[in-house]
Amino acid sequence: MSLWTMIVSMAEGLERTCAIFFLTLIFSLPLGMCVALLRMSKNKVVANATRFVISVLRGTPLMLQLLAVTYGPYYLFGIGVARNKLIPVVIAFAINYAAYFAEIYRGGIESIPLGQYEAANVLGYTKTQTFIRIILPQVVKRIMPSVTNEVVTLVKDTSLAFTVSYQEMFTIGKQIANSQTSFMPFVVAGVFYFVFNAIVDYGMGRIENRLDYYN
Amino acid sequence: MKKRLTALVLAFAMIFTMTVLTACGGNQGDQADQGDQSEGRTFVMGIDPEYPPFSYLGDNGEYTGFDVDVARAVCDKLGWQLEIFELNWDNRYIQLDNNECDCVWSGMTILESTKEEGYVLSAPYFDNSQVLMVKADSGIASSADLAGKDVGVQLGTSGDILLGEDLAELAGTFNSVVRSDSFLKCFTELDGGAVDAVLVDAPVAASYAAEHDGFVILDEKLGGEQYGICFRSGDQELCDEVEGAIQELVADGTYKQIAEKEEYGEIINSLIFLQQ
Repeated sequence: MSLWTMIVSMAEGLERTCAIFFLTLIFSLPLGMCVALLRMSKNKVVANATRFVISVLRGTPLMLQLLAVTYGPYYLFGIGVARNKLIPVVIAFAINYAAYFAEIYRGGIESIPLGQYEAANVLGYTKTQTFIRIILPQVVKRIMPSVTNEVVTLVKDTSLAFTVSYQEMFTIGKQIANSQTSFMPFVVAGVFYFVFNAIVDYGMGRIENRLDYYN
Repeated sequence: MKKRLTALVLAFAMIFTMTVLTACGGNQGDQADQGDQSEGRTFVMGIDPEYPPFSYLGDNGEYTGFDVDVARAVCDKLGWQLEIFELNWDNRYIQLDNNECDCVWSGMTILESTKEEGYVLSAPYFDNSQVLMVKADSGIASSADLAGKDVGVQLGTSGDILLGEDLAELAGTFNSVVRSDSFLKCFTELDGGAVDAVLVDAPVAASYAAEHDGFVILDEKLGGEQYGICFRSGDQELCDEVEGAIQELVADGTYKQIAEKEEYGEIINSLIFLQQ
């Protein structure tokens, strides 16, 4: 098998890798905000329950969560295993990443000095207005580097989807490596991930610069 | 002051843990590296830990299976220590080359490409064929019924390779080929309805169907092949030693005794050394 054929067949799997990546971001970024707000709730029970859920999601391997979401319903209730693996894969990824994003959001929100809330109150802003117009724009700027960190990790974590037989790019690489007894597919996979992340890095850098309008 | 002390203690605890961990990690590597042929050497056999009835985790929590039992008997005969290394099956060649184990011995199919790469292979010891396993109520009776269906296979196994080569035409009629990282996962997918059939080595299918209800193995045999033991290139001597010991086991009947174990199913009928 020529190097070119190898690259082409692995690039086909890249589509499925991208599917996990984008869908996970679309679902986990907003979900993370909901979780963060629950975590900061004044109601102690809600706050502590959320805290517990976050610690479970961060404290157990994503691989295990993938298995639990995909095969758990089958083993526990005899419900069939999904034919389209993208669904359980995205559910597991989105929930897991939402937990991390929630903590990043919380860090950002809590870093805004209380004085700003007081000032907004004096100026007649409602609580929602204060949050959306004053706090949130500052939070977004502050958390960008941490969010980029998570997004970069997500690119690499997509390879975990093979645990539940979802064939993304790395799976195809492994398959070729096997049938050809060659190490080359892993090199190709490495380059693919690196280029993918270089693009993510560049994009996130652009967004960060855009937001940096006060300097 | 107190904080500093705590930090210091924690730092020491971390360094200590790391030292211990590295020391343990180091030992494992060394053992596989010992290439000396002296008595009492440690023989590290690389297995697919989820490949019944050749190598799998037994009810007592220790690895068992036909290949493991034979290897154990070989080591007893030669006075070696047997150590079992769980391979990541689709990385088996890399792990073998890295001295993580001395051989791959786990129902491994002899492929032309393996020989061409220079690996030393033992004489074949098992005649294998690929079969299709389906659910009893699926209504699938032959490979022709699989048009438009989803078929599961373990990545990197001979079934997977076969679908890319000799059976490519058949694979073209499927809706998709679903590759998993173990046969047990393939069977879960089959039972859970995520795939319609699993292409699997005959003995693996037989042993699974014997223990679980509701599965049927189709009579059709897809692709014949043979199992052998794979050693690193240059380990011809080690291969000869192991093969010699196996022949002794065949001669004194131990080999047959192992093959006759009930939990290994019908593999006795396909063992090449017992046909002669």
